[in-house]
Amino acid sequence: MAQLSLRGVRKNFRNVEVLRGIDLEIHDRELVVFVGPSGCGKSTLLRLIAGLDDISEGEFTLNGRSMLNVPPSKRDIAMVFQSYALYPHMNVYENMAFGARLMGLSKDEVQKRIDETAATLQLGPLLQRKPRELSGGQRQRVAIGRALVRKPAVFLLDEPLSNLDAALRSEVRLEIAKLHNDIGGTMIYVTHDQVEAMTLADRIVVLRDGVIEQVGTPRELYETPANAFVGTFIGSPRMSLLKAVRDGDRFGVAGSGAVLLPEAPETGATVTLGIRPDAMALAPAGDADGFEAEFEYAEYLGNEAYIYARLGDGTRISLQGDTKALTHRPGDAVRLRPNPAEIHYFDSETGRSFRRT
Amino acid sequence: MPAPTLNGISRTPARTPRLRVSGRGLWITFLLVPPVVVMALFVIYPIFSALAYAFYDWQGLARGDFVGFANFEKVLFQQPFAATTWNAFKNNIFVFFALMIIQNGLGFILAYALWRDLPGARFHRIAVFLPVVLSTVIIGYVWKLFFHPIFGAVNQLLKAVGLGSLATPWLGDADTALNALIFVNAWAWVGFPTLVFLAGLQRIPSEILDAARMETDSELTLIRRVIWPLIAPSATVCFVLLFIGSFNWFELPYIMVGLDGSPYGNTDVLGLYFYRTAFGNQSAGIQDFGMGSALAVLMFLFIAVVATTWTIYLRKREIEV
Repeated sequence: MAQLSLRGVRKNFRNVEVLRGIDLEIHDRELVVFVGPSGCGKSTLLRLIAGLDDISEGEFTLNGRSMLNVPPSKRDIAMVFQSYALYPHMNVYENMAFGARLMGLSKDEVQKRIDETAATLQLGPLLQRKPRELSGGQRQRVAIGRALVRKPAVFLLDEPLSNLDAALRSEVRLEIAKLHNDIGGTMIYVTHDQVEAMTLADRIVVLRDGVIEQVGTPRELYETPANAFVGTFIGSPRMSLLKAVRDGDRFGVAGSGAVLLPEAPETGATVTLGIRPDAMALAPAGDADGFEAEFEYAEYLGNEAYIYARLGDGTRISLQGDTKALTHRPGDAVRLRPNPAEIHYFDSETGRSFRRT
Repeated sequence: MPAPTLNGISRTPARTPRLRVSGRGLWITFLLVPPVVVMALFVIYPIFSALAYAFYDWQGLARGDFVGFANFEKVLFQQPFAATTWNAFKNNIFVFFALMIIQNGLGFILAYALWRDLPGARFHRIAVFLPVVLSTVIIGYVWKLFFHPIFGAVNQLLKAVGLGSLATPWLGDADTALNALIFVNAWAWVGFPTLVFLAGLQRIPSEILDAARMETDSELTLIRRVIWPLIAPSATVCFVLLFIGSFNWFELPYIMVGLDGSPYGNTDVLGLYFYRTAFGNQSAGIQDFGMGSALAVLMFLFIAVVATTWTIYLRKREIEV
């Protein structure tokens, strides 16, 4: 059982404000992912929850109990570090037993828990090895095992996949998802990779410059981003942003003509259109509808292709295309036809989303 | 050297490019020869000659007959020489253990405090190391003045704060002389282990310390179970160098208490005894190059064997971080 609550949490390092008022509720058995660009404060927030750094201002409670003056080891929280941070002088068994013994568990209980964990993570044959004798993926599993043995209320994972190669990364990602399913603990996971966030999270917290931009399920963030930043951060290839001028239901882009978008919400005269690669398509040859653009190049991926084109005002657009229709050459004039139902409308000034009513 | 033949195919022209290539080699040789000569002349030659001298009977500086192990037998087992040898050796051992606790122990504590970045750490980092760069001669001389029974700063200070009853002729009292020397040595050298331990502490990855803090809030457990094993390489350096330094101890006692290890041999150590025996002094009168050499050889062997064995043992418990 773990219910975390952060209210008005701020963190300063000397004069630099790293977190500027975080309000967040994390529910029991939830897998929450903190995501955002480098320097957004996501790792700092994790360290505050762990207790490794002190909160400058605000309140943090775990199951209703304030954690402000509780040392990290007494918070019932375990953490998996980016570099794994295994004790190099202890073998795998000792690495896992160290924290468990310090919790005051009996020798038999420690042994039992390590046996269980080793079985779950297939660490059995590695128990007597030193960390330097393990591969990256094995070290990662030991680091997770070390956290599991303590049976904490909350697991914190700080970019746990970033030191693994691409093939191993998706494999371990799956293992973590499965682990969360099996043990059912509350997990907080930090990453800068939106794919990891989308695939793992029950809910995603998007951070930028020390503030939360949006909290929601992967679907909510993808389908209804609160602002242009979230829109472009979630989804790959990223959402294209078009500066448009509105005239009734017609939206014009400088140098590319205008298109009719009948279902648009109330906006000002200038608006930023957010268009995902799958929300726009190349118009068939001879079709006069759509934005005029210049074909730049295409990335052929086998089952699909990503097409890059440039609008009249210089904005680059990416769209998902059919591999069979790839007949254009760089420099060709093409027309891009957006799907009105899937367009996002953002305030040109603030970036905030205009919702359809 | 064979003369070049007419068609030019001979060994001489073939050598010319090799000579040109070895210009670099020549330069390296030119740079290497002086230090090698100096090493050979002043380090290797004396060691081997001392080894040889130790097996001869000496009359002043004139070499007499080959006497086998007689000189060794004298310094180790024949009275009164043996008593002096063992007394000096006993003092060396005491100095070593005392400095292990005071100098290295304090060094570790200071390093830990500096590492934790307590207020004023930057200033103290320099202050602690400052005496290390001072000449031992100056340190010895200044502290000898401080310890002066009547005018010395130590006794004056004790009197000034009302502890005059504790004032004592520090270097003349059999109970305090060696301790005073050990104190001065620790004061002067504590910066060295401090710096070595500090370097070791700074090498520990911060995430490992964070991981440990997630599992224990006891600083003692953290130090004992995580930090100390991870700075084992620093400990090896401090321990072994202190061992060698303690059994080679000479300058500080020589300057502060003289060659005799006064009072009554209470501060006598092997270094002093060796020097007196080999080169003589006014009070002892005796001078025996053969016995002196035997002492030097024994010291060398003892230090080399123990230091090597210990280093091997200490290196085993080190791990790569």
